[in-house]
Amino acid sequence: MKNSKVVWTILLFACCSAIAMAQEKWLVPEANNDMLSILIFDEDTQLEGKLIYTRSCRSCHGDPTKKDFTIMSPSPGDVASDLYQDQTDGSLFYKIQKGRGPMPSFENAFSEEEIWSLVSYIRSFNPEYQQKLPNLEGIEIPNLTLHISYDENIDKLVVKVTSDSLEVMADASVKAYIQGMFGKYPLGSEMTNELGIAYFHIDSKIPGDTEGYLDILVKTYKDYGTAKYAGKIQAGNPTIRKSAIEGRHLWSAAKKAPIWMIIIFNMMGIGIWGVIIYVIFGLRKFKKLS
Amino acid sequence: MESLKKKDLALIELELLSHVNWSRKSVIWLGTLVFLFAICIYFYFQQLKHGLGVTGLNDYVSWGIYISNFVFFVAASLIGMLISSIMGLIGVKWILPISRIAEIIALSFAMVAGLIIITDMGRPDRLHHLFIYGRIQSPIVWDITVVITYVVLSFLLLYLPLIPDMILCKDKCSQIPPFQRKMYKILSLGWTNTTGQYQLMKRFMKILMVLIIPVALAIHTVTSWLFALTLRAGWDSAIFGPYFVSGAFVAGSAAVIIAMFFYRNSFKLKDYITHVHFDKMGKLLVMVALVYVYFNINEIIVPAYKLKGGEAEHLKSMLAGSDSIMFWTVQLGGLIIPFALLVIKRMRRPLPLTIISVIILVAAWFKRYLIVVPIQEHPYYPIQNVPEELMHYSPTIAEIAITAGPFILLLIIITVLSKLFPVIPIWEIKENLEHEK
Ligand code: HEC
Repeated sequence: MKNSKVVWTILLFACCSAIAMAQEKWLVPEANNDMLSILIFDEDTQLEGKLIYTRSCRSCHGDPTKKDFTIMSPSPGDVASDLYQDQTDGSLFYKIQKGRGPMPSFENAFSEEEIWSLVSYIRSFNPEYQQKLPNLEGIEIPNLTLHISYDENIDKLVVKVTSDSLEVMADASVKAYIQGMFGKYPLGSEMTNELGIAYFHIDSKIPGDTEGYLDILVKTYKDYGTAKYAGKIQAGNPTIRKSAIEGRHLWSAAKKAPIWMIIIFNMMGIGIWGVIIYVIFGLRKFKKLS
Repeated sequence: MESLKKKDLALIELELLSHVNWSRKSVIWLGTLVFLFAICIYFYFQQLKHGLGVTGLNDYVSWGIYISNFVFFVAASLIGMLISSIMGLIGVKWILPISRIAEIIALSFAMVAGLIIITDMGRPDRLHHLFIYGRIQSPIVWDITVVITYVVLSFLLLYLPLIPDMILCKDKCSQIPPFQRKMYKILSLGWTNTTGQYQLMKRFMKILMVLIIPVALAIHTVTSWLFALTLRAGWDSAIFGPYFVSGAFVAGSAAVIIAMFFYRNSFKLKDYITHVHFDKMGKLLVMVALVYVYFNINEIIVPAYKLKGGEAEHLKSMLAGSDSIMFWTVQLGGLIIPFALLVIKRMRRPLPLTIISVIILVAAWFKRYLIVVPIQEHPYYPIQNVPEELMHYSPTIAEIAITAGPFILLLIIITVLSKLFPVIPIWEIKENLEHEK
């Protein structure tokens, strides 16, 4: 009897520590640990990371900084916490790519670039973070040039990537956005084909300016070479914007009060005060009647 | 009226004019009030000098006891005019001796209500901006308009039937200073008691009595809209208008009963304001309290069943949280229990009825506080890291003094009015008695 209790207790301890061990040690191979991002982290990579995160990670990891991750064992944890921020970029990349236990592997789901943009997003919650860039000595970085046009027959933005000398750049990654007042609307992320061309669909219903122009932003990346384009393309729906304070509304200035309100207010005022004034003037008649 | 039938008309005149003088007692009373009011004025000057910072108002609770007090004063001013005008139009005779008292209460509360808003202003020197830059889309502009209209209308309704009595004061009162006699003469507009004059006065009265009904309902409806036309949970309610109006009936009736009691005792009017009047006013109070209970049930049960968002938070703190003690004291002690007691006939005798009315009136004040303040202690939008002190409001000494000021001013106005004029319409009583003979 006594013996079996001791055995059980030992077994229980063993199990617990096994679980604890498993939770603690997630070994990342040296080479992977030191891997550096192929992207330079900026607002755009963060934005893209955020979109992916919201779709694919939030359900378990919760909103970063809020510590509202799903309770499970092992715990997913908050990606803004030190547990994450103390790791190298390469380690985060590796863990997202490979997964472990309940943490799914995203190797087949996302391209390397997308995983790096997730890392970029996770890093955006660390104000002290400074991206470590690879040593680029001896590597030839291509000079990229963007050629932008719009094909209105198929509603597509056509982006061609070449080198300075107009040599076609295949397999360059291209991202396109529409610039809004408060943020960017991503049109997508594509690789150029063998002709160095990537297409982006633009919904023609997207409201442009009065002539249908949209502010377009395009970025490309290949082997640490980058290029950027910002300009107007006539691809949207011509829209005449009305100011919210134009016309007569409840929220307008005094001079632009709604007509019906002016009428009702004044009618009631004049009606009631008319009677009051009639009575006040009528008071003089008392003297005549004496 | 029965007790009066035996009385000689001359005696009635004498008795009803007996309080129109500046007796020692009344002067001491007025002096005390003025002294107390001066203290409040001192605090108001502090506020003028240092700004609203001397109050407990903050970013969140920007409407504190000043606005609660304003709502209370508007509420108390409402019923007086309605009692005298509706009953007068229907031709209810018993109301006659207390109609002027009701009007004095109404006018005094309404006059002071307008001033209270000014105490809530950080820059009262810019008051006229309201008239220059005010937007008619704003309920505040409607409220100012309708309060001013109501004050003028109730002034006229009080003034017109006073004219014959002023002539009487001028001729019969012996202990009044000459300037007062002169004032009566000017204010009586050459009145000589001719039938033509009476006919004209009654015609004007009828017009004004009809007109005051919608305006009286409007003052409190529009005051409720100051709250209900916002999107804030707890104020955003479609029944706020009738809810406020029915609450005003309760507060106003209680105020009239208290005034009746004091006039009856200190002006020796026991033969004029009788047990019958208290009994009837008590019944009226029961009726209006019932209506108010009905609106309270609606105002609370409907959102409490759904418990959506901000409303849930507010209701929970009201029904079972930080404000629950005040809430249940007011609802039970200031509405349900008094109402239940008033159903008993013995409780409608002058003294018990007056005590109950005082309790109801005090509870009515706290009810306004509950409507105005606790809702603002919750942030309008979900906000993080709100400084703790913004979530709570407690009035400062200066603020309490500035809130007491209107009450003292109210007593001063009521005292002066009832020392200048007979509080019971003498000519109407006489006319009525002659008619019955
Ligand atoms: C099904 C729930 C789930 C989803 C979805 C999920 N994770 Fe995880 N994640 C976990 C769990 C559980 C762990 C802890 C695994 C462990 O420690 O064995 C974890 C661990 C991680 C780690 C390693 C933390 C450490 O311990 O060092 C990273 C990085 C990570 N997740 C990123 C992501 C990203 C990025 C996504 C979205 C692309 C994502 N996760 C989606 C559950 C999830």
